Amino acid sequence: MSFANEPTLELRRADARDRLLVALDDLDNRLPLRVAPVIGGERGASEGFESTDPGMPARVIATAGRADETDAREAVEAAARGFREWGRRPAARRAECLRAAAASLRERRPELAALQVRECAKPWQEADADVCEAIDFLEYYGAGAVELERGPKLTQVPGERNSMRHEPRGVAAVIAPWNFPLAIPTGMTAAALAAGNAVVLKPAEQSPASAFALVEALHEADVPANALNLLPGFGDAGAALVRDPRVHLIAFTGSSAVGLEIVRAAAETPADQAHVKRVIAEMGGKNCILVDSDADLDDAIPAIVASGFNYAGQKCSAASRVLVHEAVAEALLERLAGAVEALVVCQAERFETDVPPLIEREAQERLRRCEQRAERDGRLVTRRSELPAPGWFAAPGVATDLPPDSALLREELFGPLVTVEAVGSIEAALEIVDSLPFALTGGLFSRNPATIERVVGRAPVGNLYVNRAITGAMVARQPFGGNRRSGTGTQAGGPGYLQQFAEPRVVSENTMRHGLVTEPGTGSDGG
Amino acid sequence: MTRDVALEAEVQRIGRALAQRFPSPARHPLRALDQRAMRLASEDEQIRAALFRLVDVTPATHSVDDLARHLIGYLEEISERPPSLDTALKISDTAPGRAALGTATTAAVRHMAHRFIVGESPSAALADIAALWRHGIAVSVDLLGEATVTPDEADRYAERCHDALETLAEAAGRWPERRWLERDSAGPVPRVNLSVKVTALTPLMRPQAPHLGRDDAAGRMRPLLRRARELDAHLHVDMESLDSLETTIELVLGLLAEPEFRRGPSAGVVVQAYLRDSPAQLDRLLEWAAATERGSPLVVRLVKGAYWDQEVIEARQHGWRPPVFERKSECDRNFELLTRRLLDARPLVRVKVGSHNLRSVAHAIAYSRLGGGADADLELQVLRGLGDELAEALRAERLRVRSYCPVGDLVAGMAYLVRRLLENTSNDSFLRAHAHGAPVEELLAAP
Repeated sequence: MSFANEPTLELRRADARDRLLVALDDLDNRLPLRVAPVIGGERGASEGFESTDPGMPARVIATAGRADETDAREAVEAAARGFREWGRRPAARRAECLRAAAASLRERRPELAALQVRECAKPWQEADADVCEAIDFLEYYGAGAVELERGPKLTQVPGERNSMRHEPRGVAAVIAPWNFPLAIPTGMTAAALAAGNAVVLKPAEQSPASAFALVEALHEADVPANALNLLPGFGDAGAALVRDPRVHLIAFTGSSAVGLEIVRAAAETPADQAHVKRVIAEMGGKNCILVDSDADLDDAIPAIVASGFNYAGQKCSAASRVLVHEAVAEALLERLAGAVEALVVCQAERFETDVPPLIEREAQERLRRCEQRAERDGRLVTRRSELPAPGWFAAPGVATDLPPDSALLREELFGPLVTVEAVGSIEAALEIVDSLPFALTGGLFSRNPATIERVVGRAPVGNLYVNRAITGAMVARQPFGGNRRSGTGTQAGGPGYLQQFAEPRVVSENTMRHGLVTEPGTGSDGG
Repeated sequence: MTRDVALEAEVQRIGRALAQRFPSPARHPLRALDQRAMRLASEDEQIRAALFRLVDVTPATHSVDDLARHLIGYLEEISERPPSLDTALKISDTAPGRAALGTATTAAVRHMAHRFIVGESPSAALADIAALWRHGIAVSVDLLGEATVTPDEADRYAERCHDALETLAEAAGRWPERRWLERDSAGPVPRVNLSVKVTALTPLMRPQAPHLGRDDAAGRMRPLLRRARELDAHLHVDMESLDSLETTIELVLGLLAEPEFRRGPSAGVVVQAYLRDSPAQLDRLLEWAAATERGSPLVVRLVKGAYWDQEVIEARQHGWRPPVFERKSECDRNFELLTRRLLDARPLVRVKVGSHNLRSVAHAIAYSRLGGGADADLELQVLRGLGDELAEALRAERLRVRSYCPVGDLVAGMAYLVRRLLENTSNDSFLRAHAHGAPVEELLAAP
């Protein structure tokens, strides 16, 4: 299946930047937005909690109705009804709806990017890329569903006709994070819908407005009201969804702690539940970049900086740990520290910003503790005298000389802090990578084809990036997802992802009766 | 005879005159590099890739054995290896074989590099630079360096620029007079000419926020401009990829309009003819020049542009329309159009035309002469190591020619070297066509 990604904006051109600033201005005039739970097409109240601008916490971006367990029950109920209609539509018609929704997101690109700038402090370039990725998911899974419906080729022998098809599972609960506030909810929702399931979407409490825009677009694109329900709210609503026996499938992206809790809860199979819940989970990472002695540091350093510090490191794919060959370790550390000290820490709406504020106060406090730990256990090699205010800013930092058992070397930090360790060889670095419980992304800088081959063979990560940054996976180009405790091993935006949202059914029919093939021609390899 | 016909006749006449002064293709400099390697490279994409990767990694390898192992890796990725390369692979099975291979490779890469890179430092390059001057060829020095990713690195680059200015100015005082190199209708042309890269002057180059790099680089550029004025040197701000174009233009035009720099120094910018937007960029420069009073006219160097592959690939990866002309003929036509507009804009600007394309160079000379311009009011530029024969031919015609001479060590020069090799083994390359003995009519054909 050939696929062309939605082109991002060419922000090096002033006119492209100006259009975004106009959209931001428009948005600011409409704040706060109102977000309501949407259950069976009925909109609830839009008071209960607020999303605020991480760069100016006094600014309310959206007021949202807070869905509770009762809402969750009703939403599943509605989805079960919606499934009866939506699941019967042929894949081509479902794909049409997704394409129409993609078109309406495309029309609203500047506005949706502006919303992320405000609601999640996502800098423009990344906010725009997020909206593009959402559009890509809608189109990619729509086309994928049509292909899936055709079914795979099976081996055929005379007198027997074999076929395989994929049917939707039923009700899908989609639980999404805030860090890709449109792309990730869209990806999981679009895959579930494309495969014919009905959806209850529970977005992160930090970013209800982006999810609301998605649900509106899909409903306007003729996805039936019951087939897509929105539950803005907190963990209680998500937990209720996960426990509900009428839910068939849970698609989750978020922290490892919550992800593993979902895996456990979903394993409960009460007597009245006639299915085993399928969990598709994308969780955290402890992503390493390996730098060999023959690496070009002119390339490696900007790539490490981008991977570790763009969006303040708040990506599951972000670089966290650099393992560098001792022959170039000193040079790398000095240059990396200098580059990180030079990063522009500023509000997301400014085009020059490298490191925006973190999502919330708790994140800022957590990163401060990490920083203190880095100074206690090892050495923080970057200095920054002051941070902007207001906003949940954290100083981008590089730490080194940490003891091997330091938590900073084992745990996901999800913030702008990168550790550097010198290793004697790439083999030693691979041992370290292999000792981690995570296996999401990884990077390698080397110019030796033999080294590259060795690392490709041994790195357990879901996404290995060679001689480039380790973030920024593109739909259809870098299907994305991790192994080990980083996820259930499915890769979003790639072949095979949609199958997870469907159940396979195989039919084998005997076409021979008294030695006569009753349906001539079935012996060849049909499908 | 219409003007166009007259121009074309003059282009042909000048082009042939220059071509006659060229050495035969058999003595072409590309041959001298490493004849077989370059021929293989320009004929087979995979071999070309292997050669460039090898050149690129050479300074980063820590032993001849390590270098040989890289070479083996690159050769193994070539699906159909010519026998000579197979032999190289066979001898690499043993440590002594690898030592021999690694040593030979190091020597070959150094040999290649020295054709393009004059010396490791300005003082080491002084003898060559002075010899060129005495011979009748001026020089612009370009300081090669690692990428600037930290403020310290930007400071160090600025320091190297200061040192280079001093070293060159001190030496230039002792050079003999070469009237056609140091004077045009507008007055004296500085002997010392330094090329400066904005991406090296700031770690804050952000394509989406040009003001950031502009303001940061300005802090390092001002002292350089002051020093250049004191030493009567010319500063030329190079143009790199499109990502840094806006920063570069805003920086230069902003600084040169500051009252402090109204009286000098001589300074210049570059227009890249491969950019679709280049005519509009030229408009902007000319409008600025018309509106800004300066003691010394803005110098504009017209080049084709050296980042074609990068621009096209990056645009394709993003789904953008490539910012460059994708057909050589379009680019060549635009080059001639911009040449004419620039020459017509004199004396508002001083004009430099940097090209190895005989047709483009002949066209510039012919148009200038037909318009009644003095030869002194057109400067021609070539790259050291690639345009040496053209420079020689131009010098013999008593035209002002300047050789762009990169200075720096091998590690720092690799990116430059690889780009130059890539550019000149590409199918579109004028030098490649010439090295392969293309007839002069073909080389001089109108685009």
